[in-house]
This record gives sequence, C-alpha cells and structure tokens, in this order.
Amino acid sequence: MPAPIAATWYDGTHARGRAVQAEADGGTLWLLDEAGGRHGLALRDVQWPERTRHGQRVAQLTHGGSLVFADAAVFDTWRQRLGHRESWVVRAQQHWRATFAALAGLVLVGVVGYVWGVPWAARGVVAVTPADVEQAIGDSALAQLKDGLFKPTKVPPAVQAQWRDRLGTALQRAYPEGPARWELHFAGGGALGANAVALPGGHIVITDELLELLQGADDAVLGVLAHEHGHVRRRHGLNAVVRFGLVSAATSVALGDFSAVIAGVPALLAHMGYSRDAEREADADAAYVLQAAGRDPAAMVLLFERMAGRAKKAREADERGDGALPIAFASHPADEERIRFFRTYRDTARQGPGTKSPPLN
Amino acid sequence: MPLNPADGPATPAPAAHELRLRFVGSGSEYFRIWIVNLLLTLVTVGLYYPFAKVRRLRYFHNATEVGGAPLSFHADPWKMFRGYVLVALMLAAYSGAGHVSATAGLIAFVIVAALWPALWHSSMRFRLANTGWRGLRFRYTGTRKQAYAVMAVPIGVAALFVVLTLLVAPEAPPAPDAPPAPSEPAWGDILLGLAPLAVMLAAMPFFLWLLKRQQHRHYALGDEHTAFDVGLGRFYGFWLRNLGVGLLVLLGFIGVGGLFLWGLGATGRSPAGAPVLAAITLILAYLVVFALVGGHFTARLQNLVWNGTASRHLRFDSRLRARDLAGLWFTNTLFTVLTLGLYFPFAQVNSARLRLEAVRVHAGIDPDDLVAAAGRADEAAAGDAAGDLLGFDIGL
Repeated sequence: MPAPIAATWYDGTHARGRAVQAEADGGTLWLLDEAGGRHGLALRDVQWPERTRHGQRVAQLTHGGSLVFADAAVFDTWRQRLGHRESWVVRAQQHWRATFAALAGLVLVGVVGYVWGVPWAARGVVAVTPADVEQAIGDSALAQLKDGLFKPTKVPPAVQAQWRDRLGTALQRAYPEGPARWELHFAGGGALGANAVALPGGHIVITDELLELLQGADDAVLGVLAHEHGHVRRRHGLNAVVRFGLVSAATSVALGDFSAVIAGVPALLAHMGYSRDAEREADADAAYVLQAAGRDPAAMVLLFERMAGRAKKAREADERGDGALPIAFASHPADEERIRFFRTYRDTARQGPGTKSPPLN
Repeated sequence: MPLNPADGPATPAPAAHELRLRFVGSGSEYFRIWIVNLLLTLVTVGLYYPFAKVRRLRYFHNATEVGGAPLSFHADPWKMFRGYVLVALMLAAYSGAGHVSATAGLIAFVIVAALWPALWHSSMRFRLANTGWRGLRFRYTGTRKQAYAVMAVPIGVAALFVVLTLLVAPEAPPAPDAPPAPSEPAWGDILLGLAPLAVMLAAMPFFLWLLKRQQHRHYALGDEHTAFDVGLGRFYGFWLRNLGVGLLVLLGFIGVGGLFLWGLGATGRSPAGAPVLAAITLILAYLVVFALVGGHFTARLQNLVWNGTASRHLRFDSRLRARDLAGLWFTNTLFTVLTLGLYFPFAQVNSARLRLEAVRVHAGIDPDDLVAAAGRADEAAAGDAAGDLLGFDIGL
C-alpha cells in the first residue's frame, strides 16, 4: 500500500479547504486531517482526473466536494502504485510518438475519406434523395443564376425551339427507354462567357456566347448539350451539392471555430478534383448520343479547338478569365485526353458492341 | 464599485483579498490532446465529439487557477452526447430545408427560432452547474422566460428580414426563356433591401447588451449573486468605437492599396509575379483586418462586461489591452494558416492565457468563508451543444 499523500479537501459546502493526507485501503479512501480525524469515502464515489503534464489534479467526489492534489507528479505515482491503468487515449496524449501516429492517422483518414469516403457517402445520399427535392434545389439554383450571373438571351424563340427539338430527337434515339427529364435554357453568359451548365433537376443552360463560338458547328453544339444531359442523367449536380456539404461539415467539425478561414478551401478542392471523373462520364454520354444520332463524335474536337483559340486570344488581350463556377463547361481545360477520346470514339465503338448506352456507374 | 443595491450594504467592504487568475496550460500539451481526440472524432464520424469536448473543457478549466485553486469541469460526456445528436439533427434539417424550398426553409426557421432561446438557456445552466471552484459549484440563475425575452430581438430582426425578402420577391416567375423585362433598380426595392441591414446594425448593440446583461446578472457562487451595472449607452459607445476602428483600418488599407497600385503604375507594366504578390497582400490584409477589428472588439468587450460585473463581496477587474490581443490574434491566425491548422491548439492556449491573466478578482471577504447555497441546479445537456454551435459562450 503506497504511503499517504498530501491533498486539500473541499467538502462541497464550504470553500475553505482542509489539508489532509489521502490514503487508499481496499475499497475506501481515507482522509486524515491534522487534528487526527479520519474520514472514509468509498473509492467508487471518486472521479479521478486524467493525467496531464501541467496543472494540479482535481478529483471530484460524487456526493459533493473535491480533492485537490497540488503536486501532480506525486499524485500520478501514487495512483500508479494503487494499480490504476490509464486508458489508451490518455496514454496516447502523453507521448509525442503516439501524437505523431495520430497525426499520420489523421492525414490517412483525411485522404481515405476524401478519395473514397465522400464520393461513396455522396452516392448514397443522392440515391435516397427524392426527385422533387433535387428539382427544388435546381429550380432555386437556376433562379439565383438568372438573377446574378446570366444576362437575358438574344437567341430568337424559333431558334431555341429548334435546338430543343434536335436535342429531344437525339436523346430519344440514344435512350429509347426515355432520357432523364431535362429542360433547355438560353442565356447571355455574362462573366461566364462561352459556356454551358447543367444544374440539379435537369436544367441545362447554354450561353449565347457559346452558340456564337460554335456557329456553323451544329454537331458540336448537340454534343455539348448531350454532355450536359449526361450530367443530368447521372445526377452530377446534386452529387456535387452533397459532396460540398459533406466536406464542409467534416472540416468544420475538425477545425471548430477556425472553420471560417480554412473550411472553404478543402471544400472547393474536393469539388474541382472530383468533377474530372464526372466530366469523363458526361463526355462518354455525349459521344454516345452523337453516334446514336448518326453524327460524328469527332465534331466535338472543334469545340476544344475554338475554346483554346478563344482562351489564347483572351490571354493576349489580358482580359479577365472565365467566372468561378466550377460546374460550368469551360472550367475544365480542354486537354489532349478529351480531344483524343472524341476523335477515336467512332473507331473504338465500331469494334465494340457499339449500341449500348454508357452504364450509370 | 458596482454593486447590486438590493443585495448588500451601501458601501462595499474593502477588497481585502485579491485573487489573481493564472493559466498554466501549455500549447504543446494541448496539441497532443487535440490531435488524438480529433482523430477519434473523425474516425467515429463525429460521434466522439462530445467526449473530445469534455476533455478540452476539463483541460482548460483545470489549467485555470483562481487565487491558486484550479477550476474544474465535471460534465458527463454521455449526457452531452444526447444533446449533441439532437442539435446536430436539428441543424442538419435546418440547413437542408433552405435548399429544398422557401416554405420548408421558413418552417425550419420558425422551429429553430422557437427552440433556440430554450437551448441557450439550458446551455448556460449546464455550463455553470458543471463548473466548480474549491468544491463549490457555480450556478446560472436566469429563467427560460428571460432567455426568450433576450432572444426576441435577433429573432425579430431575422423575421423582419424574411418577411421583407418575401415582399420583394416577384409575385410570379417570368415565363421560361421569354426575354425578361430589362430590370432597372427600383428605389423601393433598394430601400427594402437596405432596411434590414440598417436595423441589424442599429439593433446589434442592444442585443449584445441584453445578452451580456442576462448572463452577467445571473451568475452565482455560494451566496454571491452577480449584478451588472453597464448601461445601454455604454454599449452603443463601445459599438461606435468599434465601427470607428473598422473604418480607420479600412481607410488605412485603401491608402496602402493606393500606394501599391501607384507603384505598379509608375513602373509602367505589371511584373510577372504581380498576381501572386496581390494574392499574398490580400491574405495578409485580411489577417490584419481580422486581428485588429476582432482583437479590439473582443478585448474591449471583455473589459467592459467584466468590469461591470460584481456581487456582494466579489468584483472583477479586467485589464486586457486591445493591442496585445490584436497582435496575438494576428500571429495566431498567420501561424494557423501557415501550418494548415496544426497551430490551432497553440493559438487557443495563447489566447486563453492572455485573456484570463488580464483578470483579477477582488474579494471583500475571505474566499474561505464562501458557503454553498442549498440545493443543486439540474442539468440539461442538450443546450450545451447548442451554445457551442451557435457560438454563445461565457466569454472568458
């Protein structure tokens, strides 16, 4: 039995502390005061403090009051001699090696969660989200964009109707079982410039500037619209909203009140990183729809060439770049890979079974 | 010296005892606690959060010594767990509802507005009831009814905002793809849009005063019940000074930014690194503004509120210098950003030390003679999570 140690005993009624010697014996904690009094407490009525490096140790007594051990080191040794085993969390908190392991674990959890966890959870949430909720989200997003970002369109209603017709026919041919619900809007791009956007709930917006850029290349326009319909069909918009929410929630839990400064950054990164896969899937849908409509998917190459030419011109003129709307078409640089995909699609499709629509995941 | 006139003699007893506040926590130690508990929180998808929070509060309380005796925090994490889940569900529903439709958002707003004051009230009770010093428990003696009266102000302003938004919104959406009528800014709309902002700015000091008054009138330890003698006028003065500081900082930045642009213009062309330089300048500017304005606000508010708080035998003396806190906030934020958040625990410890050690308690009696009041306060942990998430803390 370890030797008694000094403590200050507060009885829970008076703020005046009494200097005592604490001694544990069996299931009882004995407090011996200076006048020779002996007070016994059941050990199970004492809530012991966790070990930390700094500060005094305060034990709570269930029936009121507390015991303060001013000399923490003596207290810790005493507790150990009494056979106390600390929880592994408390032990980990004391050791730098465990701390760095925890840091590494944190990074690992972050990476795993970012690469697999968030997309997986987002798919789950999207799958259980009813269509009318998605519709409502899309409607309000569209209303906001029309208010803030987009300008009124200059495309005559007859031309608009023509495009709706063409897209409808092409989609019907590509998806005989019926395409996903869609609605085509025309708008002046404003800061977005030449662009096309797919929102949750089937809203597809193409800007006047993009139509102008693709003047005479109707197949490329159809390809762009089919690409956006691919986003609609795969519910990419809703998926992005959910992912954004999940990542912001995770960061705000992790960083607590500091979230205001840093929380936005990973959320944005997540968004941009993920959309590459989404773009690839939508590209596949676009090529498939063009093919099914009897057009050459390679027509899409023209889009990337003209976009690149425009971007180059824009750089030379030192204009400001495209707006910061990551779901917009033009935010994804036309890379070699995408051009190659459209250029070679017809050949690969001929070799393969060819007529099946790209699977949804 | 502020005193509650109903409580004691006309002349207070001389401050015979001075209790100094000392903060003995260390950044490196709290870093280890933080990182281990953060990992556990993330691995458990947030379910461990209340346990991590209790550990954090215990550490900070235990490291705070008042007159040589540490504070203690003894909440049961399991109780907090239930409250945390409840509030998390409520907030998730609230933030989700706004996405779905305006009506759903409005319903969620009404529900949250109806529950919020009650949650805040129980948060205060819970936090105080679980804080102890020398074996005595603190108490919060405010009532739920008072909490509703205090919160009526921000909820009223928010409701005004919602109603005005509904009024301004067009009655029917224009037909899709019909070229909308060219919209000209209508003066009525602009006024309606600005009105809530003006009301909010004007009502803010009033709300802050009500909130602080409600809290600082209802702290109790033993037979000591605090009173609060800071008038509404001083809160408006405080608010105006803060607006002044904000304006000065803004003007300073416009000046510096102008010089910067003038310098660029003088060289004739923009150097290659200009965008990077501009981005760094912008981030630094944000940090400086955040530190100066936020540090000044927090430091002055702490002094204002605690210097006006006293009980029959105890009074507080807070001498936190705004420039010290602003400087600390700047380095804290800068290092936290540079270390991708790893400096955060050090920042919290530094900030707690500076703020706590600026405070002294003057006691007109020997603190040994404090005696617990009869009965024990009940605890409602649901509110604590709410207080945490909504950011209303005790402010020290």
